[in-house]
Amino acid sequence: MSKSICVLPCNGLDKCAGDLSRRVALQLAQSEEVALICPVLLNQNRSRYEKDLEAGDLTVIDGCNTRCASKLAGDLEIAIKEKVNVSEVAKALNIKLGVEIREDEQTQTVVSAVLEKINSSAADQAASEFIEPESIDYNTFSHGKFIFKVPKANYYFNENDCWVTVSGNIARVGVSDYVQQNLSDILYVDPPEIGQEFEQFDDLGSIESGKAVFEIIAPASGTVVAVNTGLNDAPELVNESPYEKGWLVEVQLTDFAEDQDLLHDCPAYFEFLQRKVAEIDV
Amino acid sequence: MSESTFMGVERDRIDWSPRIDFTKCNDCMECVKFCPHQVFEVDENAKPKLKVKNPNNCVVFCRACSKTCGPDAITFPDKAKTTKMIKAIRKAEKEASTNE
Repeated sequence: MSKSICVLPCNGLDKCAGDLSRRVALQLAQSEEVALICPVLLNQNRSRYEKDLEAGDLTVIDGCNTRCASKLAGDLEIAIKEKVNVSEVAKALNIKLGVEIREDEQTQTVVSAVLEKINSSAADQAASEFIEPESIDYNTFSHGKFIFKVPKANYYFNENDCWVTVSGNIARVGVSDYVQQNLSDILYVDPPEIGQEFEQFDDLGSIESGKAVFEIIAPASGTVVAVNTGLNDAPELVNESPYEKGWLVEVQLTDFAEDQDLLHDCPAYFEFLQRKVAEIDV
Repeated sequence: MSESTFMGVERDRIDWSPRIDFTKCNDCMECVKFCPHQVFEVDENAKPKLKVKNPNNCVVFCRACSKTCGPDAITFPDKAKTTKMIKAIRKAEKEASTNE
């Protein structure tokens, strides 16, 4: 019998957040569709879970920001379909978990909230109003064995290497070619919530490879109207097409004219990136 | 000459770097391992061992090290205030250069 979801929980048995991860995982495992993965055994003998991982999508439950479970999946290059962080859910609920293991109303609230987050499918989003240009021209430069691409026009960048491009009233946000090459294979995209309002330079989700987590720093202020659901099954699109198919978030801009003061246009970013790459060894 | 700027503003005029709450820090050094910009320094003989040695190496608006911190001991300045300050400096410089 093949299971369609694999759950890899935090193994922090000595702390409250780890204990909650375990409680969430055990509840999920009551479903016939769910295969539980023991992180210790996975680390020791991956082949034991090969069949489950082939048949099912991986959901990771991290206890805290040490993110051992995510990192283990990253080290083993297993793509993560969905993940949730118990401490962050608790923080959003204004609940302090502390270290001590306890079974009370507060921890039950957190367990329920985590389960709800895992079970809720992606929020409905309206059909995109963004009009994709037929083709985009690029400028390129090389540094060692790397070749970096930057569009010739219509994209605006912050110095955190995130771009925004506008089509009518709607804009898309993503990361530059430099970011995807630095991270190498993207394994997971953590999108922001639809409806979330954000200021310029706020966090707008993150992307993650086996090497590192990269925070998306909003190039402009606005409201999230859609996320690129195509990345759920194919996060590698960010690597293959960082300026087009690998876009991350669709947003309604608040005051782009104002925000542009702290953005580079394409030629300026091209120059900025050349200087940056020359200074840091990629 | 290597001078560091953010959107044309000298980096040392922008107050952006991690602040460590040593009552929470557990010396795991995940932040040090994570940060590729040598912002932190570890001195095994000092207490605390961890130090923000090069605050101006920190990438303005990046808070990624705080996300690697299990005990949640790292905080950063307010982003909106920092943005406002950068804009004010740029405006003042623009005005100064047009008055010359």
